[in-house]
Amino acid sequence: MNRRINSDSLYVVIVIAPIVLLIALFIYYPALDTFGQSLTNRNLRIRRPPKVVGAENYLKLVNDEEFWEVTGRSFQIVIMTLPLEMVVAFSIAMLLNQRFPGRGVVRTLAILPWMLPGVVNGFLWGWLLNGEYGALNGLLYQFGLISEYQVWLRAPEHQIFWVTVVQTWTRYAFPTIILLAGLQSIPDDLFDAAKVDGANAISRVRFITFPLLLPSFGIALVVEFIAAFQIFDVVWTLTAGSSAGGSINPFTKTLMLYNYELVFRDLRVGLGAALSYLILLMSLAVGMIFVLRVYNQGVQEA
Amino acid sequence: MKLGLRGQERLRLVFIYILCAIVLIWALAPIYWVFVSSISTRVELYARPYKIWFPSQPTFESYQTIFTQGAKFRAGGFSPTADLMGAGLRNSIVISVGAAGIVTLLATGAGYAFARMRFLGRNLIFLLIMFMLPLPIWVSLIALFFLMSQLELIDTLLGLILIFVTLLLPLAVWMMTTFVRDIPAEIQDAARVDGANRWRLVYSIILPLARPGMVAVFLVAMLSTWNNFLIPLIFTRTNDSQPLTIVLTLFIGQYEVAWEDMSAAAVVTMLPPFIMALFFQRYLVRGLTMGAVK
Repeated sequence: MNRRINSDSLYVVIVIAPIVLLIALFIYYPALDTFGQSLTNRNLRIRRPPKVVGAENYLKLVNDEEFWEVTGRSFQIVIMTLPLEMVVAFSIAMLLNQRFPGRGVVRTLAILPWMLPGVVNGFLWGWLLNGEYGALNGLLYQFGLISEYQVWLRAPEHQIFWVTVVQTWTRYAFPTIILLAGLQSIPDDLFDAAKVDGANAISRVRFITFPLLLPSFGIALVVEFIAAFQIFDVVWTLTAGSSAGGSINPFTKTLMLYNYELVFRDLRVGLGAALSYLILLMSLAVGMIFVLRVYNQGVQEA
Repeated sequence: MKLGLRGQERLRLVFIYILCAIVLIWALAPIYWVFVSSISTRVELYARPYKIWFPSQPTFESYQTIFTQGAKFRAGGFSPTADLMGAGLRNSIVISVGAAGIVTLLATGAGYAFARMRFLGRNLIFLLIMFMLPLPIWVSLIALFFLMSQLELIDTLLGLILIFVTLLLPLAVWMMTTFVRDIPAEIQDAARVDGANRWRLVYSIILPLARPGMVAVFLVAMLSTWNNFLIPLIFTRTNDSQPLTIVLTLFIGQYEVAWEDMSAAAVVTMLPPFIMALFFQRYLVRGLTMGAVK
């Protein structure tokens, strides 16, 4: 009996210890250390030992115009992306919920973009939208919809618009899958009963599908909020224009790109560390609001 | 005019297939176009204003160029990056297979422990692993960079693998724990009565039964690692460790690299995920949605 207990604890130590070591060393210790550094004026450009400055970095950020501009832009991208994404995802989910031969193949192909690297997706669209040789220009010209090639990514507000389109293209598959699973769990009897009662297709969607899908929408919105709020790869290859070490395009600079720039371009480590904690706070706050609101609504409707 | 039942059904299908075509164009057109770009000759690719939607003489020259000479500039000459693609491909494979293999082993061993054993700190440790999920990576990233410098793990494959294994742990452990929990306990208890110790039990009973779960964990881990860009952006410097996602952005950054060559580089970078998505989608979807939904 004793031998078994010993062999049990040996097993636990051997399988758990490496995991604990890894997350302690690579996640939690650096997280605390980053917080510590956010309270210092560490700047690798300046040769002086860093000093503890308390909350100064946080105050500096909150009083900084660029911080609010970048934050506003991140939320703008979220607000533009989520509705677009949900409309696309809901439409495709409704389609895939129909019975027809070849549905499996269509499903497999329809969610492909989600599985590809974000930097590739940004590149794909950048090339499609290219002003000199882009396929979009070619296509529209061939159909006679434009008489001259356009530079689609020139104006700042157009850049933001296309960022949201590409983010939608990259991510819509996830909400589609979640909504499709939700749709498939709605019993057919409900629709049959509504049909007997004379409800038309639109009111069936409105009074049966939507309320029952609310929890699925909730999950999809929270996950997609985080994805859009932390957007990085797609912007990097679509509009950031910064790969060769040049400056990052200010018109599509989101919070994550700003954080990267502060720490790894400007080497203002203390300030960047403070920013990463502000981003954590914002994500948690908005995540909570989303969850609580959607959850409460779901409870009330049920 | 009244359609019969048959006719109605046919009309419904026509309508559905039209919608399917729209969805597939939306999902696949950009992928199709980058592939066409990569096998086009320059003359046809740069034709304007009328595009040539399929090359009259498909060629794999661009692929040959990027792997042997580096990318060519539009104005002629080549970028001094001949070995970037080959090295990038090697690095991407080593990192994603390495990280996926290690995290699958770790998660299987630990998943069994979390699902079936009692030990001190079990719930706390599980919670600490799962709490990583909502934590934005930037919170750890900055100090982690300095830690990795001190450990001399910057720009090494080992460093990247260790970071990816750690980042994949919550998803992998969670998947394996739920998977082992769903294996009927009676099977395991029978083996215990026979006097098998934990190692024998995991090796001969759990491993064969948990194989679908392990495959899912491995595939999801491999896909996420292959696709990742931010981690190598921060922790690599040279083609000793730069994976394809970085190499691609280097091509894009070099403003004058020819589009057909960049397209070929993009196709190479997305080919493994593309193939995995086609053939293992069931596993991937299960893993990827599980991680997000819990």
